[in-house]
Amino acid sequence: MNLGSRKLFDRSLTGVSIMAIILMSLSLLVLLGPIFSRGLGAFFFRATSEHLRLLLEQFNRGDAEEIAAETRVAAAARQPAYQMLADFENELQDMESSRRQGYRPQLKEVKNLLRELLGPLPGELDAVMVRQQYGPTRWDRAQVKLESILFSEQWDYSDKSSMGKKILVPRQRSFAGTRLEPLFPYLKNNLEPMLRPRLVFYWRFLTDLSMDSHFFGGIWPEILGTIYLTLGAMIFAIPFGIIAAIYLSEFAAAGRLVSMLRVCISTLAGVPSIVFGLFGLAFFINTLHLSNSKSVLAGSATLALLILPTIIRSAEEALKAVPHTYKEAALSLGASQLRMVLTVLLPAALPGILTGIIISMGRAAGETAPIIFTAAVSVGKPLKLWETLSQPTPALPWNIYNLATEHQAVDEIRHVQFGMVLTLVLLVLLLNLAAILIRARISKKMRG
Amino acid sequence: MSDAVSRLRRLTALILKGFLLLATALSLVAVLLIIAYITRDALPFFKLRGLGELFTSTAWYPSGRPPEFGALAILVGSGLVTLGSILVAVPLGIAAALALSDILPYRLRQTVKPVIEILAAIPSVAYGFFALVIFAPLLQNRGGSLLAIALWLIALPLGLLLIFMVTDAATRSIGEDMASFARLILAAVLAVILVRGLLALSARLTLLRIASGTNALNVSIILGIMALPTIISVAEDSLQAAGRELREGSYALGATRAETLFKVVIPAAGSGIIAAIILGVMRAVGETMVVWMASGNAAQIPSPWFNFLSPVRTLTATIAGDMGEADQVTGSIRYHVLFALALCLLLTSFIANLASEWVLRRQKRRLGGLK
Amino acid sequence: MIQSIQPSMRPPQGPALADESGLKAHVSCQDFSFFYGDNQAVKDVTLDLPSYQVTAIIGPSGCGKSTLLRSINRMNDLIPGSRTSGKLLFDGQEIYGPRLDVVTLRRRIGMVFQKPNPFPKSILNNIAYGRRLHDHLDKGELQATVETSLQRAGLWEEVKDRLDDNALSLSGGQQQRLCIARALAVDPEILLMDEPTSALDPRATARIEDLIAELRGHYTIIIVTHNMQQAARVSDLTAFLYEGQLVEYGPTDQIFTKPREKRTEDYMTGRFG
Repeated sequence: MNLGSRKLFDRSLTGVSIMAIILMSLSLLVLLGPIFSRGLGAFFFRATSEHLRLLLEQFNRGDAEEIAAETRVAAAARQPAYQMLADFENELQDMESSRRQGYRPQLKEVKNLLRELLGPLPGELDAVMVRQQYGPTRWDRAQVKLESILFSEQWDYSDKSSMGKKILVPRQRSFAGTRLEPLFPYLKNNLEPMLRPRLVFYWRFLTDLSMDSHFFGGIWPEILGTIYLTLGAMIFAIPFGIIAAIYLSEFAAAGRLVSMLRVCISTLAGVPSIVFGLFGLAFFINTLHLSNSKSVLAGSATLALLILPTIIRSAEEALKAVPHTYKEAALSLGASQLRMVLTVLLPAALPGILTGIIISMGRAAGETAPIIFTAAVSVGKPLKLWETLSQPTPALPWNIYNLATEHQAVDEIRHVQFGMVLTLVLLVLLLNLAAILIRARISKKMRG
Repeated sequence: MSDAVSRLRRLTALILKGFLLLATALSLVAVLLIIAYITRDALPFFKLRGLGELFTSTAWYPSGRPPEFGALAILVGSGLVTLGSILVAVPLGIAAALALSDILPYRLRQTVKPVIEILAAIPSVAYGFFALVIFAPLLQNRGGSLLAIALWLIALPLGLLLIFMVTDAATRSIGEDMASFARLILAAVLAVILVRGLLALSARLTLLRIASGTNALNVSIILGIMALPTIISVAEDSLQAAGRELREGSYALGATRAETLFKVVIPAAGSGIIAAIILGVMRAVGETMVVWMASGNAAQIPSPWFNFLSPVRTLTATIAGDMGEADQVTGSIRYHVLFALALCLLLTSFIANLASEWVLRRQKRRLGGLK
Repeated sequence: MIQSIQPSMRPPQGPALADESGLKAHVSCQDFSFFYGDNQAVKDVTLDLPSYQVTAIIGPSGCGKSTLLRSINRMNDLIPGSRTSGKLLFDGQEIYGPRLDVVTLRRRIGMVFQKPNPFPKSILNNIAYGRRLHDHLDKGELQATVETSLQRAGLWEEVKDRLDDNALSLSGGQQQRLCIARALAVDPEILLMDEPTSALDPRATARIEDLIAELRGHYTIIIVTHNMQQAARVSDLTAFLYEGQLVEYGPTDQIFTKPREKRTEDYMTGRFG
């Protein structure tokens, strides 16, 4: 190649490699952006008076008088709507039978949608499920409900060549000429006074129990479960991990046994997480009977196996990084090897070991597959400490999966899903940040 | 110091060493136990149904009457998403590793490293959630246009590079004065052909209707991004290990940076890069949540086999998904077949792990000659 | 075939000062300084290095001689945060000028490093590497180039039967001669040598010094060494650098027997460094 081509090739490589870095950074942004923005929506949102009512009645929180006043104002705004409904039902009585039959199913649908929009209709008995006792607690959900009451979906299959098109038909048309017709523009124009939205900061999302399959409330059981599982995993893994690292770096003579141990550690690191889960089920639960069925104990043991290699590796690195001079000084003063390790080596390597531990904590908190069969349930109360030995628990990773795929009303609780994901991601990122800060402080100390 | 005391000292030291060794051996014990228990619960399946059906039949109906356990489609599914994630992660990863080791200035390198660490730290369920809730609808609604954009981003630079190399090779034998003119003409012609071709292809792509956003493409891309940090860090370590002296020797002979990297550094670091790829692959194969949530979970071989737009099912998702029902009857054949699948996964990860260890050891030996 | 040998060149005349007419300054420093960040490693050096002579640069460690050497073929570009002031000329062209093409420069100025750094490739591919970058040679031409370079470097007889062996299988001294052959294969005008024998045993060192004597007159050689006796043995001219400054420069005989500067004399007699 001539010189010009060679230089052009060189410049293209520079361009391609920088593009790769840019693409990678962009994908991080694309990944975290929606999670952060919609996740924050679980904490900061425009809440309706139903939200305040819920907090008061279910969680005993808030100023009873103020909320009662709010409820009254909202009820006053809703009154005309209910009146129109009542008028229409009267109108129906006087209609001839066939026309009445035509309106019945549509009226039923409107009443259902109205319940979803405003809560239980006046005069109705209290519903059993909590989710039916309140209207939408979030303004954005309320607007979605408004849309579905104002428009009905119909499918246009006239064009044979492409898939059916969805068209929205104003529901008002089907009630044209009746006493119900003005309901729809009324709802459209008066939603605000009917629900009285205002901005709230629902930080207790983190500490509230969930009500009725996460329809309302917070994610405290999941957070507590994750904390239990993570701490449990660390309790099992840290002692074994540090001891193994000390042995490998200080006491082990190079030989076949040691290299086989190292191969085992790296093999353990490569085992897929779901296989750990199956092993946990087959061994800890079905064989050792650590618990009769799922429990935090079994889950922690399984997670501990998963993170053991990471702890061993990072601890060993930290131990190896301690300058020889420290160790030699202690030994030359007559300290036994054990004493040297305990009093000089470990303290010096502690920040590095701590970094590894914190990063492993992040890993343990975020893993799902090992706990599916060993510890996780979708719905549950926050456990007391002694209950962790025998009871399963909800946990953030498992419930993120569960709420996003197997839940009955996936779209209704999008904000909860995002809130959970944000919480988990923030938890892991904060742990990693802590580890990085510790690491930075070490290198500053080392540079002196 | 009396004899007895020193003997006691030595004894305690020995006991201590033994105790430490035992604690360390936990990892050995763990590996053995895992192999033992997975195999133990997998064997009943093989005893009952043999080896043939699992690996050759595509009929996967564990709850059917009679139940059928043909996992071929599932194996193909796992293979397909692994292949897809390699296609995404390897070029990106190696290019990024090159950027970090040789091309970016120090300050930028320090800014980029946290990005990689964050990508590595994000839990897999968060990736899965993203793939299901955000990426899948995006693919479904705007998949065609996205693919068209991706086509341009990838094919245009590659095509230009190819044109460049072709014109260079073709005009090698012509004299210098004619050469640059001829090269220009040839390059212009080829460039026009390239652009016309890309325009036609991207127009076709934009019209593409993606039936479902949860498919092999979705999962391959997300898995690729998940594998990137592993590949980048191992590859970068390898590239650094090749050493400054090697690079200096090449530069001193008048090589450009690209030539130094491709002809000297990458060949020297070759084994390490292969190890990086193997480790990245292992991450993709063993991943459960992303594929469970976003692969479509259809146990069928796509037609044609490389149709990434069709939903697939992987080993990991099958184990995770079916166990819920299978566990109702611990000890049933459904329970055991999942352990059989897990055994396949385990063996694959063992082989891949050993391969990467061997490759890394080879590299240390090769470069050891220099040090 | 390599064209740089000028058979009609007069045989080496013996040391001569650069400002004597008739001998062109191949490389010329004019108030040249080099900075690593804030640290000034080379301070206002003015020096003319004539063609086809062997010039040695000596001085205590850390005095900037390697930095000066590596500035000539711009190997210091690999270090971020470095800058220069003053002029450094090669054949009258400014080396640090904006229009200078580094790739071509490094083809005309070759370098041999302190520690032998052969590529982990075969012996043949090591030698052919540089040539393949710049030219398109067919198999026969390549073979001839490789043979000539190895002969020039005094290594041909030892490796002619195993050109496909890995270069790392050679001994330290052989590897260094390989690196010299590799540098010669691209047909440079100047050969820079940065302490080429400090990592070798005495026998290998002697062979390299003999080699330098052979190459003298065909190439301009600039050798940095911390070994004074070596400088006295191989060079025509010697420059003494101390703490980045040029203290004295002249014919080797004169520098070693009747140095003009006291510092030079102190260094020679081992009072420091």
